[in-house]
Amino acid sequence: MKRLFLPLLLTGLAGAAQAQQAGTPAATVIAVPPLTSPNNGSKGNEMLAVGWQVTQQIETDLRQTAELMPLKPKRDDYYSYPEVTAPTFSKWRSAGAKALVTGFVQSRSDGRLTVGCYVYDTEKGRELARKGFVIGPNDWRRAAHKCSGLAYTAVTGAPGMFDTSIAYVAESGVGDGRMRRIAIMDSDGYNHRYVTGGEALVLTPRLSPKATQIAYVSFAGGKPGVRILDLDSKQDRALVPNDAISFAPRYSPDGSRIVFSMMQGQNSDVYIVSASGGAPQRLTTSPGVDTDPSFSPDGSKIVFESDRGGSQQLYIMNADGSAERRISFGGGWYASPQWSPDGNWIAFTRRGQEGRRIGIIKPDGTGEQVLSNGPGDEGPTWAASSREILFQRVGSGGRSGLYRIALDGSDARAMTIPQDGSDPDWSGVID
Amino acid sequence: MRKFLLILALVAGTSAEAQLPFLSKRGPQSAQPVLQGIDALRAEFAAQSGGTTVYFGAESSGLSVPARTVLTAQAAWLRRHPEVVVRVEGYGDAGDTRDHALAVGAKRAEEARSYLVLLGVPAPQVSITSWGKERPGLGRAVTILVR
Repeated sequence: MKRLFLPLLLTGLAGAAQAQQAGTPAATVIAVPPLTSPNNGSKGNEMLAVGWQVTQQIETDLRQTAELMPLKPKRDDYYSYPEVTAPTFSKWRSAGAKALVTGFVQSRSDGRLTVGCYVYDTEKGRELARKGFVIGPNDWRRAAHKCSGLAYTAVTGAPGMFDTSIAYVAESGVGDGRMRRIAIMDSDGYNHRYVTGGEALVLTPRLSPKATQIAYVSFAGGKPGVRILDLDSKQDRALVPNDAISFAPRYSPDGSRIVFSMMQGQNSDVYIVSASGGAPQRLTTSPGVDTDPSFSPDGSKIVFESDRGGSQQLYIMNADGSAERRISFGGGWYASPQWSPDGNWIAFTRRGQEGRRIGIIKPDGTGEQVLSNGPGDEGPTWAASSREILFQRVGSGGRSGLYRIALDGSDARAMTIPQDGSDPDWSGVID
Repeated sequence: MRKFLLILALVAGTSAEAQLPFLSKRGPQSAQPVLQGIDALRAEFAAQSGGTTVYFGAESSGLSVPARTVLTAQAAWLRRHPEVVVRVEGYGDAGDTRDHALAVGAKRAEEARSYLVLLGVPAPQVSITSWGKERPGLGRAVTILVR
C-alpha cells in the first residue's frame, strides 16, 4: 500500500505542475484507477486487458481538456470489483484527486461487453454519476469516450466532446496544385478517413448534427457550389441545382434545413433550403455581401456577417429573415460567426491591424473577448461542451493547422493531423 | 497599396484546372514552342487587349479607368471572335476570411462581365467564377488561357 501511495502522490504533483504550466490552475485533478472485471479466470484476464485499454483512453481524453487533469493510471493499481462502487476516497484525496472515474468490463454470453462507469467526488465521498452500456467486443474506444464524457459532465456540468467527429480540409502538396480533400476523424484523431477524392478544390465541410452528411463547397463545376455528401451511401449532389455561385453552408440544429450564401449579380445573400432539396428561400436582401450564417441552438435565430455598412460586421436575425440587427461594434472587421451549442456565445474571426484572431461575443453584443493571438487565425467551430473552440491557423511558413483553444484564456494547442488542415467543423455529441 | 486581380480565361468548356498554364507546363513541351492554335489565340487576345488582368482597389469591385480601357479592348476583340468563350475569374484578398473573399472575388468578376456585356459582348460568351483567396500563387500575374 505504501509503495503504491508514493508514486501516486508524485504523479499527482507532476499533474498539478503540468496544469499550471499549461495556464490552467483551475483544472480539477481526477483519479483514473483501471477498470476492473467481475469475470474470473482467463476471461477475467481478457476483460482486465480491455479495461486497461479503456482506462488509458479515458486518461488521454481527459488530458485534452482544460478543465480536468487526470492522474496517470497505474496498471498494478486494479480495483477489486466491489471497490468500484466503494472506492477508498482518503487514498485518492491524499493523491490530490478531487474526483475519480472508474468502472468495470464484463463479458456477455453473446460475445459483447457490458461496460459500467462510475464518477465520484472524492472530497465529499459521494457518487456523482454512473452509466452502463453494451458495446461490441472491439468498441472499447467508444466506451472510453462515453466514460470520459460522463466524468467531464459530472465535474463541469457541460456536455463532453469525446464521442464527437471533426471534419476538415486536409491539404497536401504545394502551391496552386495543392490537393485538398475533406477528411473526417473522431475528435481524438482516430478513425481518420478521406471522404472526397482530391480531383476538385473543396472548402468548408459542415457536418449534419448526427454526422451522417456533410455540406461542403466544391469547385468541381468550375465555380464554387454547395454540395451534400451522404457519408453512408456516398451519394453526392448539388444543394441547389442552378448555375449560381453558392457557399458557406450550415445545418439547422435539427438537421432539416441548410442556410448558405448565394450570389445573384454582385449581391451575396443568405438563403435557406430544406436539406432534402427544393426551392431556396431568400432571407436577406441588402446590397453587399451577407454570408457565413449560423443558427442559434434553438433554431429561432441566425447570426451572419454582412458588409452592408461598409465593413464586415456581425448581425442577428430571426430564422425567417426578420428583425435584423447588428451586434458587433468593437472596431475592426468581424467574420465567420458560429453560435455556441449552449447558446451563450458567438465565436468569430476578427480582422484588424493585428491580423486575424478568434474571439467570442454574447448574442446581445456584450462581453466581447479576443481569445487567440493570430495573426493568421480563422474559421472557429465550437466543441459540444461550449468551453473550447477549434480553428484554423496559418503559421509564418504559410502552413495551415488546426488548433484548440479554451475559453479560460489558456494557450491554443495544435491538433495532430496527418497533413496540413483548414476549415474545421466539430460535431455535437453523436449518440 | 493593395491591389486585386481578375483573370480572364479563354475556355471552351474544359475544367478550370486544365486551363491553368502552370499545370500545362507539366506536360511535354518542345524546346522551341511555336505559337499555334489555342496558344496563338491567347497571345493575340493578350496583345490586342493590352492585358488580361484587371486590378481593383482594396475592398472594392469598382472599375478604374485603366481597367475600363483593358475591358473595352477585350470587348472589341471578343465581338470579332464570337466563337471564343471567356471566363472571368475573380480573386479576393489573401488576408480576408474565406467566404467573404469568395464573395468579393465573385463581385469583381461580375462587375467585369457586366462591363463586357454592356460593350456588346453576348452574355453567353462570358461566364464567371471566383477563386476567393484559394489561388494566392497567381499573385498579380496576368493569365490568358485559350483552349
